[in-house]
Amino acid sequence: MLVLHQVHKTFSTPQGTLPVLNGINLTLQQGDSLALMGESGSGKSTLLHLAAGLDLPSDGEICIDGHALSSLDEPARARLRRQSLGLVFQQFHLVPSLSVIDNLRLQARLADREDAEWTAHLMARLGLSGREAYYPEQLSGGQQQRLAIGRALAARPRLLLADEPTGNLDEQSADTVLGLLLDLVKETRCALLMVTHSARVAAPLDRLVHLHLGRLEDNAS
Amino acid sequence: MILRVLATLLAHYRRHPGQLAMLLLGLWVASALWSSVQAVNATAKDSYARANALFSANLDELSRRDGQPLTREDYLRLRREGFPVSPILEGTLEIDGERLTIVGIEPLTLPSSNTLGASGAALTAFITPPWQTRLAPDTLDLLGLSRQQAPGMTPAVDSAGDRAGDSAEDRAGDSIEDSGQRLPPLALRTDLPPNTLVMDIAAAALLLDRDNTLSQLVTAPGALSTAPEGYRLTRAATLASPEQLTESFHLNLTALALLSLVVGLFIVQAALGLAMEQRLTTLRTLRALGVPAATLVMAILLELLVFGVLGAALGLASGIWLAGQLLPDVATTLSSLYQADVNRSLVLPWHYWVGSLAITFGGLLLAGSGVLWRAARLNVLALGQSQAWRLAYQRQLNRMTLGAAAVAVLALGLVLWLSLLPPGQGVLISFGFVAALLLSSALCLPPLINGVLHLLQRWLRRHPLAHWAVADIQLQLPRLSLAMMALLIALATNLGVSSMVGGFRLTFLDWLDQRLAAPLYVNASPSTLAPMLDWLDARPDVAETLPTARGSVDLLAMDDAQEQGTRKRIALFGITPAPTITDRWPLLDTTEGRPTAWAALSANSVFINEQMAVAQQLVPGDAVTLDTPQGARPFEIAAVYPDYGNPRQQILVPTEVLIQRFGGEVASIGLVVNDRADRQALRQAMTDRFDVSTEAMVDQQEIKRLATQIFERTFTITRALNGLTLGVAALALLATLLAQARERRRQLASLWALGVPRKTLTFLPLFQLGGLALFTGVVAIPLGIAITWTLVAIINVAAFGWRLPLYLFPWDILITLITALGVALAAAALPSIQLWRTSPQAMLNQGAT
Repeated sequence: MLVLHQVHKTFSTPQGTLPVLNGINLTLQQGDSLALMGESGSGKSTLLHLAAGLDLPSDGEICIDGHALSSLDEPARARLRRQSLGLVFQQFHLVPSLSVIDNLRLQARLADREDAEWTAHLMARLGLSGREAYYPEQLSGGQQQRLAIGRALAARPRLLLADEPTGNLDEQSADTVLGLLLDLVKETRCALLMVTHSARVAAPLDRLVHLHLGRLEDNAS
Repeated sequence: MILRVLATLLAHYRRHPGQLAMLLLGLWVASALWSSVQAVNATAKDSYARANALFSANLDELSRRDGQPLTREDYLRLRREGFPVSPILEGTLEIDGERLTIVGIEPLTLPSSNTLGASGAALTAFITPPWQTRLAPDTLDLLGLSRQQAPGMTPAVDSAGDRAGDSAEDRAGDSIEDSGQRLPPLALRTDLPPNTLVMDIAAAALLLDRDNTLSQLVTAPGALSTAPEGYRLTRAATLASPEQLTESFHLNLTALALLSLVVGLFIVQAALGLAMEQRLTTLRTLRALGVPAATLVMAILLELLVFGVLGAALGLASGIWLAGQLLPDVATTLSSLYQADVNRSLVLPWHYWVGSLAITFGGLLLAGSGVLWRAARLNVLALGQSQAWRLAYQRQLNRMTLGAAAVAVLALGLVLWLSLLPPGQGVLISFGFVAALLLSSALCLPPLINGVLHLLQRWLRRHPLAHWAVADIQLQLPRLSLAMMALLIALATNLGVSSMVGGFRLTFLDWLDQRLAAPLYVNASPSTLAPMLDWLDARPDVAETLPTARGSVDLLAMDDAQEQGTRKRIALFGITPAPTITDRWPLLDTTEGRPTAWAALSANSVFINEQMAVAQQLVPGDAVTLDTPQGARPFEIAAVYPDYGNPRQQILVPTEVLIQRFGGEVASIGLVVNDRADRQALRQAMTDRFDVSTEAMVDQQEIKRLATQIFERTFTITRALNGLTLGVAALALLATLLAQARERRRQLASLWALGVPRKTLTFLPLFQLGGLALFTGVVAIPLGIAITWTLVAIINVAAFGWRLPLYLFPWDILITLITALGVALAAAALPSIQLWRTSPQAMLNQGAT
């Protein structure tokens, strides 16, 4: 599903070149869930962005469903993202101009894969039934993140990439959101790569890897 | 404490320099355009005031009933008979290539109410050789002299100029070679009009080489109860001053400047509102930390004051520069349209500075009043609840709709008021109507756009990107609405004014073609033209002569105003009613058609120009009583004719009638020559025989070219202000987009993460804003047409005395739409380029929803 082979990433800064990832190798199969942990600045989000095709590696190769990202141009990577990937961000990144239901359907519609039954099912599972006409700013933080998860899964992606999805929530809301996320991942049988700081959040996932000084330390569970 | 609060508030602009730039930009353009027009108006008014102070409009005038020019004998006879009259001699001279007006006066007899009459100690120097030339300091520029070196100097007179009013006899033997004279010693007087030299009449007569004729005989207002035998008395009150004649022109300029001011203040309000919205949390925190509401309001007021000082300084400096650029065109226009001499360098009195500062600060305070109100009513407990904007904006839209309805009712009321006024009145009410119409439409625009976007959202539900684009532009509407309102006002005014100017151009050129029937015109003094007419009639190469004549007459009464007994001096114009002219001469209204009207003109009836018809409320069939040399006589009005560009009322009679019955003089001769005639030879023969200069013989094409040139110049400032207003609207839009660019990029980055290609995201804002601007352009079309109608049917009639047909130009309408689109795309291009150059990944990391 997702293969990272000898991935390097460096950034140019006024102070010189800054290496962030050094030869990352990682494979994620259909239905797998993997937690990526590491201290702040270790390159977790950079790795997630590379996996999503939001950025390209300085060296190495990333393949999604057998497509090498470096061989795809920007529109093709965008197509791959809307057809095969789901993204959940710590900061939600909901579209404030769209109502709850329109936010939920957005990616499915962009991918031309809207399924009304699945959407209704998601609304019920997210606990947002009855709030279809609300706007994002009228929801609590937990509700907004649930909506973001629903949006990411509405098109039934093959790979879900989540960047600290509970980082902005209190403990109780975080547990609710995480439980929902894992249930829905199982239900859709997509692969999950989740970046987190919290060992408690990482615990229920199939595998756990640590990113330290730009290198992976595998702690398979 | 207040300074600490102020520093905290100002810190916002350190993080958002774009908002500060937008705020200052708004203040700058609003203040610059307003102060530039006011600088032009102040300079013109100063010139008028100085001209009035001299004598033009505040003294009664005497003229001969037989139409002959006044002479020294007239003056001496009247003085001997005890009439308190004073002579004036006027003419023009060319000095260093500049035309200057020479005014010769006799200060001992000049009424003492006049500023030059009582000249005290300098009187002896003024009236005795070598005499004295009094002039305003700003005239020195034309003489190439500085203020320090001028007093006592005697500049040389280069050429004789045209010496307006000279007779051929007066000029006989005159040549440039023998005019190597010098002006009397210069003395400065600040209260004199620009480009004018005032001296004793004896000195003026020598310089102008006119030892017998006089230009005017004047007397103190009311000093004579009746005119002396053989003379006609014209009261000062019946003479229009340059200020009265040009009042409408300056009012038009002020209206356009006000429009620019309003558009600029739209930017200011948008910037202040945005800063307020983003600083709500800061303000609430400050309140929570113990800052009293009054201190907060004072700090915001202080902040506004700081911005006001900066904006006013920038605006005044640019305004004065802009006025300096526009003034020469305006001065030329005023001179050609109204014969009003306006200084070509700026004169800025103290009240100009105070007024410009007051307008900038007043406008800023008005634009910031909403911010101050919100700060005063700030709810400390609502910390962090600034997200309730959606509801708040809906309430704002409702208020806008109600406001639009209220202003529309006001506009309707003004139209009703106008309909009750006689034609030709209500310039201010008309401008009030246009302002109300613009304001009502502008207030209507955001609710209208909101409604249309709601409908579009429903319609586009199945097209996710389009649906998002529409929903997103609706989200931006609270911030974009002010800029869109400014754009609507600018577009509508632009369309309205350009259609009016375009229509005027068509009408004017058509009218010019009809009026200029002869291919060649000869202008010379009446004493030259009279024998020339006989000579031309005898020539085989001249097919037809069409002399015109000029004179003036006192209008004693009209049909419905017999009892008023008022006198009004009206200009008389004489034409030759030959088929060459009568077949083409344009008529607006007749009693029984053109042939009957022309027949009536040749049989004791008169035509009047539109200006007179409007001002005196006369129609064909009415009668006017005129004070002819033979006594009061009634004349029936057979037709009304258009007379564009003439600021005065005029009566038209056959040339022969004007000369024989009204004591008029031949003013020019129109010549129709045979096809095979040698025009050059004819010109040469006229020069040889009558000593007329080649400039005195003007080709029809040359007159048309000059008239068209004057026409174009007249609208130079209108076009410039119009373009600048549109530029200001574009800047308002750009500033609004830049102020929210950072937040917008975050929104677009989310879409990019969902798989929308970057190229699509770069072009999407262009489509969004282009669509919105196009809609605004469509709304601007009927509004622009309404403005054109108001201009041609109401304001022009009231301001200038003529009505124009309403022309609509599809090309102008298309240009309006293209301009709207262009303005939007130009404004959206920069944020789009920024978007293209910023990594979406970096944008995603920037923050929350």
